[in-house]
Amino acid sequence: MSIEDVFSSKGRVKILRILSEIGELNISEIARRAGLNYATTNQHLQVLESYKLVRHKTFGRIRIFRYNEENPRAQMISKLIEFWEETK
Amino acid sequence: MSRYSSVFKDESKLDINYVPHTLLHRKLQLNLLNQFFRFAVENPGGMTQRALIMGNIGTGKTVLSQHFGLDITKEAKQRNINLNYIHINCRECKGSLFMILQRTIMKFYPNFPRRGYSAEELLQALMQILDDKDAYLILTLDELETLVQNEGSDPLYNLSRIQEDRINAPKRLSLICILRQPEHLENLDPSTRSTLQRNIIRLDDYSEAQLEDILADRVSLAFRDGTVPTQTLTLIAELGNCERGNARYSIELLWRAGKYADASELRDVSPECVRNAVASVYPVVRKDMIHEFSLHEKLFLLGVARHFKQTDSVYISMGEAEESYALVCEEYGETGRGHTQLWKYVKTLSAAGVIETTVSGVGQRGKTTLIGLPRVPAADLEQELVKILMQGGR
Repeated sequence: MSIEDVFSSKGRVKILRILSEIGELNISEIARRAGLNYATTNQHLQVLESYKLVRHKTFGRIRIFRYNEENPRAQMISKLIEFWEETK
Repeated sequence: MSRYSSVFKDESKLDINYVPHTLLHRKLQLNLLNQFFRFAVENPGGMTQRALIMGNIGTGKTVLSQHFGLDITKEAKQRNINLNYIHINCRECKGSLFMILQRTIMKFYPNFPRRGYSAEELLQALMQILDDKDAYLILTLDELETLVQNEGSDPLYNLSRIQEDRINAPKRLSLICILRQPEHLENLDPSTRSTLQRNIIRLDDYSEAQLEDILADRVSLAFRDGTVPTQTLTLIAELGNCERGNARYSIELLWRAGKYADASELRDVSPECVRNAVASVYPVVRKDMIHEFSLHEKLFLLGVARHFKQTDSVYISMGEAEESYALVCEEYGETGRGHTQLWKYVKTLSAAGVIETTVSGVGQRGKTTLIGLPRVPAADLEQELVKILMQGGR
């Protein structure tokens, strides 16, 4: 697992930024906000989930993804995003 | 600059959504409701409950339920129980179980997807959310008649049944139903009806003296000291009593009278301000209610009002209402909706109490719905609707 895998993809960074700001969303809404298609968003989310940066809950057919605030790496990334936005 | 200072100190205390700390003249009913749902704080998950609150407009049904909700969730919090009280108005949800469940779920997950799922899926999702969060829910369905008229027995049946299917799981969902017209219970299937009728809380109309107490309480919260004389309160209570003890109407009248006093830069709210206010408040057809109707519901209602302005008859036929609506649509440059949609509007407006419907009987060929406008002068309703439509209240 390398840091480049996460940050080398613009789509994954976008998703991380959206989820760290909003908290939790379903795939369609993440895709809409990130300007990506459903399948790509789904793939990115799977990668991010494998790194434990996001988690998901399933309600029947409904999948809700949320930022994994419990993960120390996710916490640091969230702080980085926040700092980046503040000092833009 | 004017030196005039308002008679109000906090007019939000007269808002329709304000829940007072003390609920006057409803202590018995509040205690009863607390008894029905005592298990929710003493033995959560052990059982589930359904209660029905019935009463005329302005008898405190909504405020009773909301007050109870605040009390019980506070007590549950002290006992570390995750008990939630959610109050949903079925009319605001257009009588759709889907929208009711969606609003309920969005209290837990604000970004829950808005479409693409059935009401049944949402109900399952709600139960799963409650399980995940180890939460209990008292769901209040206000203005239940709209839901029953729109979807019949099924929603209440499903909401009750979902518990029965989960045999060994904790019971998490309880219901409070608020109903104005008891005749709507007839539209429910016998089992749902009997379950609901087991715990009924009936709210009688407020008496004049009770209304005066309620008004005095609100005056102390909303107005500056000494700005509302006793004779003003008595007059409003009298007027409220004429409207079958309608407290909501009385409070709206009080607020409006205060506004007239402010507009005339008076030091106190005189009975004359109340008389002015009376002319602008219709007890049953409130402005906020009209605002909530969709554009075409407003246009249809405008057509009905205009037709009644030109006729002395008590009822007009559905056909006449449709013709009138077509003319209004032409005037506002809107494409008229079809008969089936208009029929739905009639049902919505009737459930809201703005119009009354009956079926034509002897002396008329065939069978048609007759529409009546018993509670508000047609000319005033027309004026109000035109004003809202002009303001772009679509």
